[in-house]
Amino acid sequence: MLKKRLVGVVTVKNGWAVQSFGYRRYLPLGKPECLVENLDRWGADEILVQVIDRSKMGCGPDFELLERLGKLGLETPLIYAGGIRSVADGVKLIQQGADRIVVDALLHDDLVSIQELSEKLGAQALIASLPLSWQTEGLGWFDYRSQISTPFQSEVLGLIQSSVVSEVLITDWQHEGEEAGFDQKLVDAFPLKNVSIIAFGGLSKAEQIRTLLQTPSVAAVAVGNFLSYREHAIQKYKAALTGMPLRLATYQSTFSLMASTDV
Amino acid sequence: MSTLTIGVVDYGMGNHASVVQSLRDIGFRVRVSDNAAELDLVDVLVLPGVGAFPAAMATLHERGLVEYLQEKARQGRPLVGICLGMQLLASASYEHTYTVGLDLIPGDIVPFADHGVHIGWNTLEFTQHGPLWSSSDGEAFYFNHSFYYQGPAEYQVAATRHQSAFSSVIQRGSVVGLQFHPEKSQSAGKTLLKNLITGLVHA
Repeated sequence: MLKKRLVGVVTVKNGWAVQSFGYRRYLPLGKPECLVENLDRWGADEILVQVIDRSKMGCGPDFELLERLGKLGLETPLIYAGGIRSVADGVKLIQQGADRIVVDALLHDDLVSIQELSEKLGAQALIASLPLSWQTEGLGWFDYRSQISTPFQSEVLGLIQSSVVSEVLITDWQHEGEEAGFDQKLVDAFPLKNVSIIAFGGLSKAEQIRTLLQTPSVAAVAVGNFLSYREHAIQKYKAALTGMPLRLATYQSTFSLMASTDV
Repeated sequence: MSTLTIGVVDYGMGNHASVVQSLRDIGFRVRVSDNAAELDLVDVLVLPGVGAFPAAMATLHERGLVEYLQEKARQGRPLVGICLGMQLLASASYEHTYTVGLDLIPGDIVPFADHGVHIGWNTLEFTQHGPLWSSSDGEAFYFNHSFYYQGPAEYQVAATRHQSAFSSVIQRGSVVGLQFHPEKSQSAGKTLLKNLITGLVHA
């Protein structure tokens, strides 16, 4: 049976891994490579590296960071987000080692390129980022460049429904970084019921994650800041979520596989 | 004690770094090349790959690797295809347009129903048993694909359940295909690669 996933998130701003609070306040954590290496060692099911200042600055994806991450020899699937402007950017990211990529600004600017990316890379490589908030008239879709929320465009929903992307990353941007802040309503009210969701933003409590994992459309939950407060956080979350359809926690061994084998 | 050398076939589709690193971590010597003379010197060929089937076959043809791989497989050289690399081992694929594959393992590559995708960690259920696979039965591995192999049951070594059961490991002689990414499957992936490669060489 296909497992649901616990995704570790590393947020990068100005080249540094940061804790992010509500898309407006940031605290430095250190080198992104160190955090990614920890998540790999702790057995995260996927690692999402989101570089949040690239689209705003118009400087494209952080290929240098990806190259440095590639040298770590990660054994965990890597998702990259940040600054993807074109088909060429997306293809290059996959060629340089990302297993999957997240499109955000492109969803606002250029749906044709997303379609083309899907044809080149396959829908499985593409995730649509949807920073959402609950507003009086329903779900608001946030553009972090303009800092404005608008209702969904029907073209965007149509593109997602037509399986051009494989999953949506629903971020509760207002409650991001806030303990137990994630608003379940964002998932429950999401209009496309047959689309796989990765939920992110303000997820800290095991019970809250358990509720999300019991939601049929939720394929994965993503945790950022709250993995930074303790060692082996992934294993500890998984231990607390026993009974959920997650892969069992893994514990890295330092013993060589070839120690007793003549090859 | 001699160290096995693995030749990672470089045909420009996707990134080889994780596969190379994983093989080196296990203890193998690794060469990455699209050059027949260099690949002739290795013990096992590994064909990785990410992307679309038609583009991958076109690149293999451009680099003169189709005939080379077919010839080496006929000679019994162990060949392991990973993800798209596994799909290339089949007779043909229906991805975008009908495209003939390496045809080393009879069968077709077809899409999941309703444009479905299969992403995440899922378990292998082996239908054939032996030392190559005994440590991996029931273990979870990382999948990321929207097409799968459909062919004679005799070539199916392991199945995985998504929508319905599909072939996640296929084998014909010393040619083996893995639909998942062992290099991204942490310790379970390394154990499988180690047992598979040493098993194929010493078979």
